[in-house]
Amino acid sequence: MATAARRKRFIPYLLALPAVAWLATFFVSPMGNMFSLSLQEGSLERGYALTWHWQTYTDVLSKYDTQLIRSLGYGLIVTIATLAISYPMAYWIATRGGKNKNVFLLLILLPFFTPFIIRTLSWKFILADTGILFGTLKSWGLMPDGFQVLATSTAVICGLIYNFLPFMALPLYVALERLDPALLDAAGDLYSNRTQRFLRVTLPLSLPGVFAGSLLTFIPAVGDYINADILGGVNNTMIGNVIQRELLTTNDFPEGSALSFLLIAGILIGVFFYARAIGTEELSG
Amino acid sequence: MGELSRRELLRRMGIGAGAISVQALLAACGVTGTSENGDAAPSPTDLNLESQDPAGVLNFANWPLYIDPPKKANSSLEKFMQATDIEVDYKTVIDDNETFFGTIREPLSSGQATGWDIIVVTDWLVAKMANLGYLESLDHDLLGQYDQNAAEIYKNTTYDPGNQYSVPWQSGITGIGYNPELTGREITSFEDLFDPAFEGKVGMFKEMRDTVNLTLLGMGIKPADATMEDVEAATNRLIEQRDSGIVRQYYGNAYADALVREDIWLTMAWSGDVFQLQFDKPELQFVVPDEGGILWVDNMCIPKGAEHPVDAHMMMDFVYDPEIAAQIAGWVNYICPVPAAQPILASAKDKYTRTVANSPLVFPTPEMESRLHSYKNLDEDEEAEWNDLFGTVIQG
Repeated sequence: MATAARRKRFIPYLLALPAVAWLATFFVSPMGNMFSLSLQEGSLERGYALTWHWQTYTDVLSKYDTQLIRSLGYGLIVTIATLAISYPMAYWIATRGGKNKNVFLLLILLPFFTPFIIRTLSWKFILADTGILFGTLKSWGLMPDGFQVLATSTAVICGLIYNFLPFMALPLYVALERLDPALLDAAGDLYSNRTQRFLRVTLPLSLPGVFAGSLLTFIPAVGDYINADILGGVNNTMIGNVIQRELLTTNDFPEGSALSFLLIAGILIGVFFYARAIGTEELSG
Repeated sequence: MGELSRRELLRRMGIGAGAISVQALLAACGVTGTSENGDAAPSPTDLNLESQDPAGVLNFANWPLYIDPPKKANSSLEKFMQATDIEVDYKTVIDDNETFFGTIREPLSSGQATGWDIIVVTDWLVAKMANLGYLESLDHDLLGQYDQNAAEIYKNTTYDPGNQYSVPWQSGITGIGYNPELTGREITSFEDLFDPAFEGKVGMFKEMRDTVNLTLLGMGIKPADATMEDVEAATNRLIEQRDSGIVRQYYGNAYADALVREDIWLTMAWSGDVFQLQFDKPELQFVVPDEGGILWVDNMCIPKGAEHPVDAHMMMDFVYDPEIAAQIAGWVNYICPVPAAQPILASAKDKYTRTVANSPLVFPTPEMESRLHSYKNLDEDEEAEWNDLFGTVIQG
């Protein structure tokens, strides 16, 4: 009898085992490995030794503070811009899409059928100085000859917005679709006009979607390096490019790992305050 | 004093043991040094390749614009495949040395195959990889054509004594490529790359050695004599150039595209590339700056653990046949390691190939050679410092 009871106690742990094993192998150990690496010193030839060299963190923070702040800035701009573009789009599809809703959603997702890099490269062609768009405009005299978008921060931000738009649009759509029209009717019965109905009923109820969409957009956008590499110029290096160069080119693993953890810390702090501001009680509602 | 229950004691012991093992685990993480690994590089006879048959497959990684077009009939690769029945998978995946090394470093450091049988990398990377034990030794018994036909200066080089790990593919010059119609004038000096008149239309390389060494030359300093102060001064010049908006972007091999698309008017360039671009855009010019240019050698080598080393050797030897070397040089227009190719090119039917045969950029004259310098040899610490300084330039 006692053994049966003891076995029952273990069942929850056994059920959780696959997920825990997966997380431990593919998340916890690489993170632990990187954390250890960030505190090591050495080189490819001499090998690395764990010396608890916390100074790497301060070194790296002072060396690359511009890029860190720039990446967080770009991420913020991209999140706000995608929100501004996606909200009307998702609202329209959710409320007026009718029977073609799925077609519209497919249209939003269609660019994702091509790989990330190809999409970004195609923007390089579109935004080229003498390409289809600007070349034609310049030959018609509508734009000054020296006008240039590629290799500027505008191009990088446009590329980021384009690549992360579906991440914002889809969660917004899901949140807006769940909106009960009866609530809007009720608000109308209580003498509210359309603006008030939007601001006091629709918007607060769609906040979970806004929250999810912003996280899904902000976090990858901050760490992105492909857009800056392909579309950017000399002063658009993002922290992702720096980490890539540290890890793959200069082979300075401690610095690269320290930068990665600083990025994670920065994002977590931002997200924490964001979650407090939005209020997560509604998320479960 | 409270009672310490058995459970509490076991818990505390468990925590203590956990803390100690975490410390040990963290210390065990990371990368062991390769020079600590202790295996001596195998001597050439260890491979014993003569007794092996070719596998019939070859994975060849190279730079773009570095061989005559493979798909055309009678290309050198076609001839190789017909002569040896080996299927060649030729991929132009190398954009710059450092990025490519980044892709193969991980499997090499854990002793796994990279998937490539031949890679073509620049001299300094050959030295670095040989030092780290990442290259297979070559079996010179299989390289008869190379021994017979290669120019003397390519045998027993400073970066690979005795050619134990590599044989040259092509040699080349880093100089300046430009479009005279867009710049409006002839470009002759390295200083022209710093001319504010070309704001936003200048390209520079993101490969550290090319840019820093050429900048040192442009400041009148021979790379071999450069001190760390010189490099810091060069770095400051480059940062000035970037901050005044003169540089559009730091390029890898993509500079060729940008030059053709007219995104940039003048740029650091590699000699043979501009020759080939002239097919599509005849106005492009290549010039070795007055202050001097950089001479480098790209080499074929076999990464450790390559699955088809015999086929690799056969390819290496095949391209040293004077006819084949002439065919490649006539297209690629880089410095050919086989002097016997020059008369073959000079007696060709079309004028372009004869021009190539007489060009000092393909078969350098002593006068040209006196203006060319090699990269400075860097040990690991110097390389790290140079990389750090250069990082402040390209990462704005």
